[in-house]
Amino acid sequence: MSIKGLWWKIGGALIFLVVLIGGMTIPTRSGVTATQPSNAKSGESIIISVVGYNTHFKSAQNHRAWLKLDLIHAIKSSQFIAKNENEATLTFSVPDQFPSDDQVQPLTLIIDNEMDGAFVQPNALFVTLNDSTRIGNGPWLSAALSNLNKSEGIKFPYRNILNETIRNTFFHVALWFAMFLLLIAGLYHAVMYLRTGLYDHDIQSASFNKIAILYGVLGLLTGSVWAKFTWNTFWTTDVKLNMTAIAMLIYLAYLVLRGSSSDHDRRAKLSASYSIFAFLALIPLVFVIPRLTDSLHPGNGGNPALGGEDLDHTLRMFFYPSIIALTMLGTWMATLLLRYERLKEKIFLKS
Amino acid sequence: MNNHLKIKKFVSLSIIMMFWWGITSAQSDSLDFLRSTGKIYAVVTVIVVIFFGIVIFLFRLDNKLTKLENQIKNEQ
Amino acid sequence: MNITKVKDIFIKELSIEFRQKFALGGIFLFAATVVFLIFKSFNNINPREWTILIWIIMLFAGLNAVVKSFLQEKRETYLYYYTLFDPIDLIVAKLVYNFVFLCSLFMIILVFMAVFSGFPVKDSGLFFMGSALGIFGISVVFTFVSVISSSDSGNATLMSILALPLVLPIVLLLLKISAVSTRLLVDTAVMQDVWLLVGVDSILLGAMLLLFPALWRS
Repeated sequence: MSIKGLWWKIGGALIFLVVLIGGMTIPTRSGVTATQPSNAKSGESIIISVVGYNTHFKSAQNHRAWLKLDLIHAIKSSQFIAKNENEATLTFSVPDQFPSDDQVQPLTLIIDNEMDGAFVQPNALFVTLNDSTRIGNGPWLSAALSNLNKSEGIKFPYRNILNETIRNTFFHVALWFAMFLLLIAGLYHAVMYLRTGLYDHDIQSASFNKIAILYGVLGLLTGSVWAKFTWNTFWTTDVKLNMTAIAMLIYLAYLVLRGSSSDHDRRAKLSASYSIFAFLALIPLVFVIPRLTDSLHPGNGGNPALGGEDLDHTLRMFFYPSIIALTMLGTWMATLLLRYERLKEKIFLKS
Repeated sequence: MNNHLKIKKFVSLSIIMMFWWGITSAQSDSLDFLRSTGKIYAVVTVIVVIFFGIVIFLFRLDNKLTKLENQIKNEQ
Repeated sequence: MNITKVKDIFIKELSIEFRQKFALGGIFLFAATVVFLIFKSFNNINPREWTILIWIIMLFAGLNAVVKSFLQEKRETYLYYYTLFDPIDLIVAKLVYNFVFLCSLFMIILVFMAVFSGFPVKDSGLFFMGSALGIFGISVVFTFVSVISSSDSGNATLMSILALPLVLPIVLLLLKISAVSTRLLVDTAVMQDVWLLVGVDSILLGAMLLLFPALWRS
């Protein structure tokens, strides 16, 4: 396989540039960072102070807020006072009637205005029922959520704790996907080497694997940076993280194997076999085991998986191109390594 | 000679790493700065890491190619 | 695949092993010493440490044993085998031999551990089934890697560098299964882990059987 021409190199660079610019400049939607207090008793009137993110509490005019129990039951706030753009206090009178008799009822806060659209804080308030609380619909049904505003333009979703780091999806997560595509290219050439015995396939396989290892190491580093800001440690006991660290160890052993032998033919055969073996050992490692155990990563332990609500279409608009761009750039780097190895081989044969 | 250079490189690299580590882990002030405005600097840090990864790759390839060029020059 | 040939090679390996009594004794002595050392330094081992230690001792004792078994033969002997046997026969015999050897090593370590620090396993069926599957996976990896490192001028360090990261996932699964069988962890879905171990074993076995003939020719 020889990929010639300039178009895909320029293409990869351009797509990455678009991802870089788009991924950094498009704003995130409004959201709630914190609410105070988080507990209340039924039948009392409470004042909730809300800290928002990217909100326009002061400049927007038509504020509405609800506490929602489930799909049909909600109560509306009686008062909305904006302190500044990002802080406001809401007054709610929690009714003395509840539709069900659960002792503690979690309520979701919904705030809506014409500039930010509607946004949600799940489980913002836990209401403990009094002895006198009756079962009944009371005021719950009258304040239906209607005519919710939609924020205009393309915006990335807001996630608490993640905040702006949701943009790392384009860089950290895409890096892993690109790494896997490069490893598959390396695997293909390893198989081709064992079938044909052409030395060129061996150096192609090695170049792809080396770039994949570079991506893997970068993925671990960037993941560690991201973890510091969201989970507050550089390294967690998270399975996915540790499994990928093991995967990296396996491929670092591959590099050691390649460096250990000077006989070209034997080195090629050994490293091709080892890389196929390692890739097959990697499949259960990276894909299966993390699914069986709880993990902080999406798709595990009750966290939504990629493709669920976590990866909505605005994220996807940059996420997929980012994978393509990183793969193209990776292939570019791999061909650079490959051309160097070919030259070295030529000189070696001459002398 | 070559090994000597390698050791030097390794030592300087690890010193830089230690500095970076010290800055990010010891001082909570700088972390607070990185957390400001919705942790956007975490994204910047990630991009910088990727950038440096690619630049280090380019440097190493450059070095390798220079060696190869010298080899060709010596033979001629 | 020829069963009688496999049996022949297996018996040959076994007789070589028993001829070198000092090497065999060395491995068992290693296991006994480590178990005793752990017993003396911990005094009282709780089930959690017990499961972790038993697998770490197993890993390193097994690595020593397999390195020795494949590296003891010279390249000329290999050339002789090449004319004599089918590669699949040879690798299956080596694998079976390693598996049996590692299993007996495991049993001996288990007996030592039981004598010195008790036997906290509550669900023995799960424990032994998981262990057997795990040891099978470990012996597949060790056999394959010993082939690679022996054809590369018999480098024992290379063997441990290549083998340890590859067996890590198997060992992690084993640790979890042992933790469940000692009731450290309650997990109703532990059979899923066992099946995963079966899957990993069969993938690795298939890869080895496919790749060995190509390696063998060199």
